[in-house]
Amino acid sequence: MTDRRLPHHPVEEVSRDREVSFTFDGRRYVAFEGDTVGSALAAAGAKVMSRSFKYHRPRGLVCCSGRCPNCMVDVDGTPNVRACIEPVRDGMAVRGQNAWPSVRRDFLSVFDHLDRVLPVGFYYKTFIRPRFLWPVYEHVLRHLAGLGKVDIGSKPDLHQRKRHVHCDVAVIGGGPAGCLAAIEAAAAGAKVVLIDDQSELGGHLRIRTAPATGDARIAGLPGFEAAAKLTALVRSDRNIEHFARATAFGLYEGKLIGVSQGNAMIRVRALQVIVATGAEERPVLFQDNDRPGVMLGSAILRLARLYGVKAGDRAVVVTDDDHGWRLAAEIIGAGINVVAVVDSRNSMPSADLVQGVDTPGAVTYLGAHVIKAIGRSAVSGIQISTNAVKRSIKCDLIAITCRPEPVISLLAQEGVSPKFDPALDQFVPGVRTVGIQAAGHVEGVIDESIVVNRGVAAGRAAADAALGRTTVHLAAHQSGLRQPAGQQPIQFDLPPARKAFVCMCEDVTVKDIKQAIREGFDNIETLKRYSTVTMGPCQGKMCHSLSARVHAAVAGQSVSITGLTTARPPFQPVTLAALAGPHMAPFRQTAIHERHAKLGPKWMDMGEWKRPLLYTSVEQECKAVRDAVGIIDVSTLGKLELRGAGAGAFLDWLHPNRFSDLRAGRVRYRAMCDDAGIVLDDGTVARLGPDRFLLTTATGTIEAVEQWFTWWLAGSGRDVQVTNVTSEYAAVNLTGPLSREVMTRLTRLDVSAKAMPYLSALEGEVAGVPAIILRLGFVGELGYEMHVPADYGAYLWDAIIEAGHDLGIEPFGIEAQRVLRLEKQHLIVGQDTDALSNPIESGLAWLVKADKPDFIGRDATAIVAARGMLNALVGFEVTGEGVPAEGSAIVRDGHAVGRVTSCKWSPTLKKAIGMGWVPAQDAVEDHGIAIRLGVGTHGKTTSGKVRTKPFYDPEGARLRM
Amino acid sequence: MSFLLPCPLCGPRDAYEFRYGGEVKSRPEPGSDPDVWAGYLYLKTNAAGIERAWWFHSQGCRRWFQAERDTRDNRVTGSSPSSKGVAPDVHRPEAQRD
Repeated sequence: MTDRRLPHHPVEEVSRDREVSFTFDGRRYVAFEGDTVGSALAAAGAKVMSRSFKYHRPRGLVCCSGRCPNCMVDVDGTPNVRACIEPVRDGMAVRGQNAWPSVRRDFLSVFDHLDRVLPVGFYYKTFIRPRFLWPVYEHVLRHLAGLGKVDIGSKPDLHQRKRHVHCDVAVIGGGPAGCLAAIEAAAAGAKVVLIDDQSELGGHLRIRTAPATGDARIAGLPGFEAAAKLTALVRSDRNIEHFARATAFGLYEGKLIGVSQGNAMIRVRALQVIVATGAEERPVLFQDNDRPGVMLGSAILRLARLYGVKAGDRAVVVTDDDHGWRLAAEIIGAGINVVAVVDSRNSMPSADLVQGVDTPGAVTYLGAHVIKAIGRSAVSGIQISTNAVKRSIKCDLIAITCRPEPVISLLAQEGVSPKFDPALDQFVPGVRTVGIQAAGHVEGVIDESIVVNRGVAAGRAAADAALGRTTVHLAAHQSGLRQPAGQQPIQFDLPPARKAFVCMCEDVTVKDIKQAIREGFDNIETLKRYSTVTMGPCQGKMCHSLSARVHAAVAGQSVSITGLTTARPPFQPVTLAALAGPHMAPFRQTAIHERHAKLGPKWMDMGEWKRPLLYTSVEQECKAVRDAVGIIDVSTLGKLELRGAGAGAFLDWLHPNRFSDLRAGRVRYRAMCDDAGIVLDDGTVARLGPDRFLLTTATGTIEAVEQWFTWWLAGSGRDVQVTNVTSEYAAVNLTGPLSREVMTRLTRLDVSAKAMPYLSALEGEVAGVPAIILRLGFVGELGYEMHVPADYGAYLWDAIIEAGHDLGIEPFGIEAQRVLRLEKQHLIVGQDTDALSNPIESGLAWLVKADKPDFIGRDATAIVAARGMLNALVGFEVTGEGVPAEGSAIVRDGHAVGRVTSCKWSPTLKKAIGMGWVPAQDAVEDHGIAIRLGVGTHGKTTSGKVRTKPFYDPEGARLRM
Repeated sequence: MSFLLPCPLCGPRDAYEFRYGGEVKSRPEPGSDPDVWAGYLYLKTNAAGIERAWWFHSQGCRRWFQAERDTRDNRVTGSSPSSKGVAPDVHRPEAQRD
């Protein structure tokens, strides 16, 4: 392991006095704190870091900024980590991916020689027959191709955080344009958020020594000092919130920005957005352009300046633009030996640029193109062609420094479609969306001296717009950008190479694209999907415009016509855990919850509520209710209070039956349907006064019912107020033949059969607390439903339990309640009815008062009544063996003609009983039916008989005691 | 779908705070043809353009209101409290031509 460290530089992030160590594929490496895994490996001279997707070719650092797939490794079990941006931690275990046995020596690299039988789209043409082998092909190919492995057993990080931030102006990108935009916007009075993915601000200036230009605040300062100054200005500004090491991965509707920062996801909602994401270098096409050692110029510079690592000893700079010369000068200044500059242009750039590269031994080649990179697992030379003369140059580093291209993906996500500018020969932001601006190099590679001014202008304009000081729509296309001197159209020739990679994520070569187009995939959209170009982890960051140019060149059309495929979030990968945020699972408990918990019942979830399912046994609880007295917590029932002169008429409107004629002190059953005649909900209505009703719903339906009620009220002018009082009242149902005895011990109110008959309602004190008492009979016994202010719930429960103690009172849960109500054939909406059930076929025809002038569902129920019943909800008792499962089919001649909606073993009646849907003609007393027993019984059936009357106390005498 | 919806009471809020309540429609007269009822219940205009619809601020003031929204880009061009709109149970024959 050779040490490739450069001397200290003020910008560097490494702390040379603090060493850490980690392993890569079992081998130990030493690094400095502040290094990334990539920089540490590069410092040790380890060039091969991964193997490519399809061909298992050796790959190493290319971009050093997390934008390409070439350095992806597995870190401590987390796959697809980009080594170039992952900070090292002491004791880290890094493993290579997609290689066997190791990344350094991968036996599967044999595929690199099999490209002739693995062309683009090969899986559509080969490995299909013989068909019986297809599962084998699939299994093998899955294991051979791919990237990281996910450990399914790993525990997710539950410390995800989510933040919601609002601001006037959000600036994405902390380069010079972005920083000055933020500073100007803040100075103009806006609340600014600045999002930047680096640890320090300054963008491309940070790694440069060439002087900055443009704004007086930074002009003349060496790049890295200008960056430090901008950082200081931002940090000291209290109106700018700076998110560092934060990636804006998506720009969404309504100027919402999704940002991921470490294990936190931040949602930023802004009034104005400025995208200043800059421009990045793009790869060049030549044979073996993916060899470790072929790196972007900016990557070499970042490695040198931020981590003090020399990427090579002899570098050849490949360029087509003045940018390359500037970068070459910087690379030399960083201490790396440049032996040649290969420029595809035919003339030398200006003297000052040449001077920067004027080092002994540096040769310039003009009008030159790269033919191939020489070297098997790493670059050892480069072959170029100048004036048709081939030449090889010995080198171990090839710096690709062609003209950078604007990073327009985020803009494209929100409607700012890319537009090809032939003058700049680049895709630039096109028609703007109101409120979203582009500033800086992202607008098109422009003169450095005006980059910052674009930021200043954008910041000022955004602040004015956000603070309402201007009505100018910031959507005008910013034209007339001054191009940097020496701009020439990029020369683009398709190399005749066998392996010139366009898409390094998916191993798509120029040859592949040519073939795909030949095969008919000649539209950019179909080409993308067939060849999978741009569909890999980088999502086109390295290859999007390149693929468009290749397509255009092959198809012989202009790049403008070719266009680009749609950019979609996320711009950078973001974990599902970050998107999900902290794990929260709220639940609701009634005011009486603690009393249940003390008895240790089996719990059930009813929607968001926790309810006791069973305290002792179904048999014991049912027996208590039928023979003595039981109590159940029904606080979860939805409750609405309706007040106003129009309340009665409103209830008449909403229900098939009447409530306006309900006398004060009386309760009535309610079932409600919609205009399609479908049963939505049932419960009770108690009239407590001339203009006051208390309405109950089922447990799960209150939200929908409240919205339904308030919707019909909206704008109607009815004198009705609806209040959701579900949480205001705790409620219990005290029921059983001895319940009256318990009541008399708790209240001075006259609860005799005469004073408080079945279906009456009264208000008064029970156990000293104000209560609304309703005489109902859901489970078929004498019973009292009491509603008290929720704070008294537990107290009331205690008082009732104590009062009934010597009478044998028992609490009963949902399971027992379900059996008891089934014995009475009382339906449960949503269980015994579904989205196709109307009141007439559900046994509620008696509720539908067709003589009412109009109500919701009137016409629909009339249609059903006229048509006649097709199916009917009936009760049945099982006469054969077994207890059919709820949901099982009722069959005739082997076909399902109905289904079981409820079915339980009744301890009271000592038989299995249920409710279900049968064809209307079978809905007669004693009709024999065949019922399937359920899943896992192989279609076995049992026999039953239809029962049209309640199984228990069919006349309802016990209810009315 | 992260557009901002201006609640008449609460101001602009994230769309996910609301529940969509369907296009504003006119309820058929009692006694109408089943086809008319089916149209009212199951068919939508689904315009690629301005839509007038009901919205419920379920995570805020819990009030119903109507909003006009361009379905092509989710720009809400206006919202009005229900007191200014038309109630669901009112039959407006002219509305059925919309």
